[in-house]
Amino acid sequence: MKNKIYELYTLERLSRDDTVIHRLHPMAKMLAAFVFITVVVSFDRYAFGRLIPYSFYPAVLMNLAGIPGGLLFRRFLIAAPFCLFAGISNVVFDRAVVFTVAGLAVSQGLISLFVILFRAWLCVMAVLILVSTTPFAELSSQMRRLKIPGVFVVVFEMTYRYIGVLAEEVSSMYTAYLLRSVKRKGIEMRHIGSFMGQFLLRGLDRAERVYSAMKCRGYSLRGFLRESEPLVRSDVVFLGAVCFFCALFRVFSVETAAEMIGSRL
Amino acid sequence: MHMADALLSPAVGAAMYAVSAAAAAYSVAKIKEDDLCEKKIPVMAVSGALVFAGQMINFTIPATGSSGHIGGGILLAGLLGAFPAFIALMTTLIIQCLFFADGGLLALGCNIFNMAVIPCLLVYPLLFKPIVAKGLTYRRISAAAVISAVLGLQLGAFSVVLETQLSGITALPFSTFVLLMQPIHLAIGVVEGIVTAAILCFVYNMRPEILESANAGTRIADGVSMKKILTVLACVAFITGGLLSLFASAYPDGLEWAVEKTAGAAKAEVKGKLSESAASIQEALAFMPDYGYKSGTEGEGTTVAGVVGGAVTFALAGAAGCVISAIKKTRKT
Repeated sequence: MKNKIYELYTLERLSRDDTVIHRLHPMAKMLAAFVFITVVVSFDRYAFGRLIPYSFYPAVLMNLAGIPGGLLFRRFLIAAPFCLFAGISNVVFDRAVVFTVAGLAVSQGLISLFVILFRAWLCVMAVLILVSTTPFAELSSQMRRLKIPGVFVVVFEMTYRYIGVLAEEVSSMYTAYLLRSVKRKGIEMRHIGSFMGQFLLRGLDRAERVYSAMKCRGYSLRGFLRESEPLVRSDVVFLGAVCFFCALFRVFSVETAAEMIGSRL
Repeated sequence: MHMADALLSPAVGAAMYAVSAAAAAYSVAKIKEDDLCEKKIPVMAVSGALVFAGQMINFTIPATGSSGHIGGGILLAGLLGAFPAFIALMTTLIIQCLFFADGGLLALGCNIFNMAVIPCLLVYPLLFKPIVAKGLTYRRISAAAVISAVLGLQLGAFSVVLETQLSGITALPFSTFVLLMQPIHLAIGVVEGIVTAAILCFVYNMRPEILESANAGTRIADGVSMKKILTVLACVAFITGGLLSLFASAYPDGLEWAVEKTAGAAKAEVKGKLSESAASIQEALAFMPDYGYKSGTEGEGTTVAGVVGGAVTFALAGAAGCVISAIKKTRKT
């Protein structure tokens, strides 16, 4: 449980670093991630070869920002099961053979399985790179800049901060429960109502106290807006480069080029 | 039940974004009408975080040996009322997407619809509230919680199937997909329903005023009828989805078309012998000409070239990353 709490804020710790990518404007990074994901998702389900050049994006950004790849990969594994399930079903249902490698038939379904997994990896990387190079406060201030209602942004910010607080609370309750009950591995179903109910009530009481404390310090919804810096040249260059890169490999197929070279040789 | 970007087409993603954004805008407007709006903000935030923290706790399901965790939609709606619950759940989903890679950025619209709009804005007011309308009792709360949780998850699972099918990424036949998804989520729904009922009954026992005020407050029937909301949501989905798919079918590759249009002039000039021969070669040997695969072995040599090309590109990307980090290391020392 403690590990989970620790993991929650690892990305935030990374986002406090100071590299070329970290210094970019958060809006530029958000837009870049969005463009990248949209383009990656727009390919058809068998276009494995077309997707490969897009691995430059995570490879370059991750290393420029100094983010450990293993950490992001572990996060990717969370998203993998559902994609794997959908992908494996393609292998079962889509059996037309495309080509054979050393007597092993490669079916359309197998290719689409790889496409799904690879695409999932690319998309997850894009989001995680964004989050681990942009401080949380910057993300939410960009949300305000996009005219997302203040109520919503404040709830977003506070939820994120409360998770750690409540996770510690529930963790101590859980330990207390396990200490009181010999040989039990988890909370029994018949206790879940009172356990989670207690937890809820504690949390709500806490929210009330926090609200009173905030009110005492002059908090109001309107007073929360912060000035945002404008985009500078390096941001525009970065965004332009990402768009150009995405568009280039959307039009130009490395695979076809390789095939052409192959046929000439 | 979180959908990933990899299983989604941009058209479906955009359409669901539009629907979820409309629902969110409406909910925020509704919450703002409430005099206690500011006071409800920390409560919303805490309950969102509660769902999160609650999901870290596993409980054992008797006689199965498996474990589950709380889901949230109906539980939050029962505690806070429809609109605050929706906002709380939506922020939770965004945080899950951003920090845990659970559900993608493009799929966020779909996930919000499946897991927040359906339970909080559809099932809760249309099913939960009518069941407990005659007054709160333990029996009514339990029945409402179980039925709503089951129905909410069934609808959610069904819309996952619909969204995936419309995106056309999987080859899974519709009927098989439905038959796989619905029973699994029926089981999950029953467990979630029982847990929700237990928690709601406990809270009602300890602090009846919480459930009573949620049940009385943010009444959907005030001013706007549910029919209107549903119609608006359906229209938004239909129009966005329809327009986008029209665009997609007229130009089989919408993005490619757009790129060609903008870069058309530049491209036309280069069109010489080389590009013509390239086009003919591509047509003859293409790995996947228009989704239809070439059978037989004639194109094998070039296919291998394509595969090798892809592998080289991938290796280059990796190498680029290594070079960058090596340069950074030497600079530091």
